[in-house]
Amino acid sequence: MIAELGQLSLILAMMASMCLGFYPIVGAIRGEPRLLIMAKPMAFAMFAFTLLAYMALTHAFVTDDFTIKYVANHSNSLLPVYYKYTAVWGGHEGSFLLWMLMLSGWTCAVAIFSRGVPLIMVARVLGVLGAIALGFYLFLILASNPFESLLPYFPVDGRDLNPLLQDIGMIIHPPMLYMGYVGFSVAFAFAIAALMAGRLDSTWARWARPWALAAWGFLTLGITLGSWWAYYELGWGGWWFWDPVENASFMPWLAGTALIHSLAVTEKRKVFKAWTVLLAISAFSLSLLGTFLVRSGIIVSVHSFASDPERGLFILGLLVLVIGCSLALFAMRSSMLKSNSRYQLVSREMMLIGNNVFLTAATIVVLLGTLLPLVHKELGLGSISVGEPFFNQMFTWLIVPFVVLLAMGPMSRWKRQAIGDLKSQLLWAVLLGLVMTALLLTSFERFSMLAVLGTFLVFVIVLTTIQEILLRTNQQINWRNLRKLSRSHWGMVLGHLGFAVTLLGITLTSNFSEEREVRLNIGDSVELQNYQFTFKQVRHIEGPNYSADGGVVTVIRNGEFVTELLAEKRFYPVQRNVMTEAGIDSNLLRDLFVALGDEFTDGSWGLRVYVKPFVLWIWLGAAIMALGALLSIMDKRYRLVCVSKATQAKNIENRQIAGTGADFG
Amino acid sequence: MVSRWVLFFGVLVFSLVANAEEKYQFENPQQRADFLLLTKELRCPKCQNQNIADSNALIANDMKRKVHQLLLEGNDKQQVIEFMKVRYGEFVHYQPPMTPVTFWLYFGPVLFVLTCFGYFIYQRRRNDGQNVAQNITGSVDDQQIEKLKRAESALKDTQ
Amino acid sequence: MVKKYLLLFLPLVLFLLLTFFLVKGLFSEARYEVSTQVDRQLPEFSLPDVMDEDQLYTRQVFENQVTLINVWGTWCVTCAIELPFLTSLREQGVRIVGLYFEQDLDPDFGGKSLQQIRTDIRQTLNQLGNPYQFNIFDVNRDYSMDLGVTGAPETFLVDMHGRVLLHHVGDLNERVWQDKFLALYQQAMLEQKNG
Repeated sequence: MIAELGQLSLILAMMASMCLGFYPIVGAIRGEPRLLIMAKPMAFAMFAFTLLAYMALTHAFVTDDFTIKYVANHSNSLLPVYYKYTAVWGGHEGSFLLWMLMLSGWTCAVAIFSRGVPLIMVARVLGVLGAIALGFYLFLILASNPFESLLPYFPVDGRDLNPLLQDIGMIIHPPMLYMGYVGFSVAFAFAIAALMAGRLDSTWARWARPWALAAWGFLTLGITLGSWWAYYELGWGGWWFWDPVENASFMPWLAGTALIHSLAVTEKRKVFKAWTVLLAISAFSLSLLGTFLVRSGIIVSVHSFASDPERGLFILGLLVLVIGCSLALFAMRSSMLKSNSRYQLVSREMMLIGNNVFLTAATIVVLLGTLLPLVHKELGLGSISVGEPFFNQMFTWLIVPFVVLLAMGPMSRWKRQAIGDLKSQLLWAVLLGLVMTALLLTSFERFSMLAVLGTFLVFVIVLTTIQEILLRTNQQINWRNLRKLSRSHWGMVLGHLGFAVTLLGITLTSNFSEEREVRLNIGDSVELQNYQFTFKQVRHIEGPNYSADGGVVTVIRNGEFVTELLAEKRFYPVQRNVMTEAGIDSNLLRDLFVALGDEFTDGSWGLRVYVKPFVLWIWLGAAIMALGALLSIMDKRYRLVCVSKATQAKNIENRQIAGTGADFG
Repeated sequence: MVSRWVLFFGVLVFSLVANAEEKYQFENPQQRADFLLLTKELRCPKCQNQNIADSNALIANDMKRKVHQLLLEGNDKQQVIEFMKVRYGEFVHYQPPMTPVTFWLYFGPVLFVLTCFGYFIYQRRRNDGQNVAQNITGSVDDQQIEKLKRAESALKDTQ
Repeated sequence: MVKKYLLLFLPLVLFLLLTFFLVKGLFSEARYEVSTQVDRQLPEFSLPDVMDEDQLYTRQVFENQVTLINVWGTWCVTCAIELPFLTSLREQGVRIVGLYFEQDLDPDFGGKSLQQIRTDIRQTLNQLGNPYQFNIFDVNRDYSMDLGVTGAPETFLVDMHGRVLLHHVGDLNERVWQDKFLALYQQAMLEQKNG
């Protein structure tokens, strides 16, 4: 019964999106306020019905309603109840419903938090979002309905949730990732609305900026959680595999990073308007492309959903419609754009656009690297693989000029920057950076040129960031001066420092990690970087829906006890799946990582032992970046929009009544 | 040949008795580093998308064993990669070969960067020229420039 | 102005080009195709018969006769499925040689005993039919690797000069035989008769 209600509300949500995608747009074109005011209620309705449908599906999971095909395939009566809540997004259909919940949620948020924006603009934005949503509601209902029934013949028990997904990291990773993916739809909708209105001034950039920042922050967290999850759950000690599915989330992140910088320039200096619009379109398009890649099975990946060419074709059709139309609109409308702002070759504008160029180049690297094997094969040139060695090589080349620009950008002035000042500041950073690099790297036994490069770049970022703060506080760092800096300024500082932290983690982990694949009897030990790992015993563990062997390993360093690790090898009987749960001891300086392998006939065990310096910094830095985005959103400029919305709205209304007749307050 | 075959089973029995600590033993640290790098760069042909270090498939284990054996025999990294490519094709190495299509993979991003910066410099040069012209006409706001330009093109049309 | 238009339409054009390949890719087999072995001479080897370690085979067993080399094992589920069809091929006069390898036999750590392997083979072949002239035992799977084998079952069509004509991954059934093998096989047989 409740499942039928869910199905019904899903259809109602689709109808709401249909109205939302149609009437406000028509209203904006024909200038009818009666149609414009429909936008917000329809946005609320769309969200409410989607939420209802989502709750109905959750209810089906919690009450073990195996008459629903999706529940029967992704749950089991023995599954712990908290995993039943998260199993809702454990498969294609449910995760797409979550995707839609996010999309309608963002739409609803735009309706609530945009009272400072003229109604006609809000109506256009919501209309665009509604039109996109309509396509995906159709996809959900027609091609991947989560409420599909198995009646009259349904199983006694379900096939259980994929054990890989039975994990705390998986509880939060997909929602965060989808929040990011889908969040770029808002910036996209603002850009499209501006194109439709033919008013590509910088106002849309100011309105879209906090939304883009929010989406970027969520995406950063989502990717980070995914990487962290892969690290401790897959048992290979790796944190990034350049797998197409990871690349699918990395591309919108790179484009999004370019977007939030470009939006800043467009807002403040009214330049790069067409470029910013293109980036807003690209970021969301790449999100959609990622969704397509993951769900169509077109590309071979470890963690793609079950492939289905028909579903793939449906999403591809939507993709062509959404991206094709918006790029066509872009091509036709943005030719009217003219940038009249004047700036020199050495200026903050140029540094930022330069950074944009490198971020876009990075996006192209990932895009080509992900899709070119497909093209190569389709052209009949044979199968090739593009993976870690290629990406590492390309990113090593790209990151050097990128960091140089990142270091100079914040210190430079708008319009024109004297080269001499910049030179002396950079010289300090470079010299001090070299010294600090040397100091840090002497604590490692090995020497590696890449480690020197990476660490040096990190210190350059950190030092120039400090110099920039000094510059803005007139060389006097005290509480009062620091408080004068705006929140969005602190957001930038955190963003850059977070990037440095992540980069340091990547550099040191990649160059100084050590691993051993060993075969140990109980009581045997192996030594790695002065850590002595002793294989104490193997315990049998009975979990709620699995049984496991738990290898206990104690770690001793220089005669002192460090930690005891439990590395599990779990067997999930329903799906007949074996999973490794690595035993990890984590701190800021290093991770100790043990994964249990197979048992041999003589009673010894295969184990993989890793020491990974600074690996935690990778995710820590990403969290700092996300915090930076949060700070930027909380900047007074944007809050003002909310607080004095009433007065501002009135002002805009007055202005518009006085101005062109097409715009309505 | 028979002796090799017998030897194999002999080794097999021996290895059951001995307690080999490390699964793959190396003569020097460089060999170990090469082994770790190679097993990360070689792709398991049977798996979805995994390198042979991460995969537990039979073929991945056999390849790892082969890599180890080849390294101990004194082959360098490139020779091991070639060995695998002869058997499993270009697909087996995560670094794509240079072909007319993969040319764009390697140089597409580079060309993009160069084109962009070339364009910026060209545009700045041109704008510098325009700035001089604008300085002559004095301070005009954007709208006025727009009007002027429109008037200019209208004039051209009539000519 | 025209130039600027072209530039602005570039993203659209590139996207549509990409779409073309995505549509094509959607309907083609995602797995990679093995073709490295085709047209290549079979590598040298010297391996025992799986039933009798004193019987050694070398590349010569593939000379002057068109042969199907079928890579298989008793542990492999799909191999069991194709055994009856292979047996019917043998009855039609096709020469099939098995290349046997054992997945539970780790060259480093041992595993299944030779006795057990033989018992299993006898049992399987008695049950499902025996298509093989003889079975070469690829003890430590080195020869499989030389042939670019990624698992079982896989089948090679080899001409009278010991040259690989075809490498098929997956099970061999009536349809695959008709579509992929038959024409090449008949041609090779013709050459054998004439030569």
